[in-house]
Amino acid sequence: MQITTTREDITIAWLTALAITIHVAEGAFPSLLPGLKPGLANVVTIAVLIRFGWSSAAWVSLLRVLMGSLILGTFLSPTFVLSMTGAVCSIAVLALASRLPGAGFGPVGYSVLAALAHMGGQFLAAYWLFIPHPGLFHLLPVLMTAALIFGLLGGIIARTMLDGASLQPQ
Amino acid sequence: MTRADWTVVLLAIALLPVLYIKLWFSQGHGQQASIWVDGQVMEVLSLDDPRKLSVTGPLGVSVLEIRDHKIRFLDSPCRGKVCVHGGWLTEVGELLACLPNKVMVRILGSDPRFDAMNY
Repeated sequence: MQITTTREDITIAWLTALAITIHVAEGAFPSLLPGLKPGLANVVTIAVLIRFGWSSAAWVSLLRVLMGSLILGTFLSPTFVLSMTGAVCSIAVLALASRLPGAGFGPVGYSVLAALAHMGGQFLAAYWLFIPHPGLFHLLPVLMTAALIFGLLGGIIARTMLDGASLQPQ
Repeated sequence: MTRADWTVVLLAIALLPVLYIKLWFSQGHGQQASIWVDGQVMEVLSLDDPRKLSVTGPLGVSVLEIRDHKIRFLDSPCRGKVCVHGGWLTEVGELLACLPNKVMVRILGSDPRFDAMNY
């Protein structure tokens, strides 16, 4: 059996590689609070969503989390579970947002939605699976504020990237 | 920025203060406290009525005080007084113990499970 690759597969692979690079580079930075990370790799997801559609964005996002965890050595650890939950939640929200008739989101809207969904999903997973203590909820407002700020920043970066880059679909 | 973008951003900015108020400033988290002596639940008390209460442990009498939906150790016959210095308990899941006198106080939540899990 021969595996054939399409142009789209190759594009996804390239963009995933870019997202993984950002993901791993970000992993080297110290974190102020557990669960707090700029999430710059999300910029790639948003750019792919706008240029190539939702299914490509889902591939890039999920492959990034998988490969990033293999490179950083966190595969199947709690970090990976939280990261994957966040990615799945943000991709799910992006699916809804991009199919919402007449909404017409731009990069900033998508990015903020994705960041908030990522943080929310990740937080609930952390609460259910690892730290089922009500005290954890004191962290949520801070984390959501950070998610909003980083979502905005990521969206602005994605917009700049889309304006300047010559990413051609297919 | 499209109109949908602005809607999302403004909604998020509007909802964040709600989150802060709900999760940081909401009062009366714990409704009840359980008092344990020597590993046994001795009493479950409502935090609504202010009172002082004496609990007898192996060393002597520990005095607990309930006021303003909070509970604390007022006095205990131990030497370190760690329990007294522990101050007031309000939040669900909070716990304070006088180990020498084997008296423990815990604020009850709806879903008593674990503090944390580690793998």
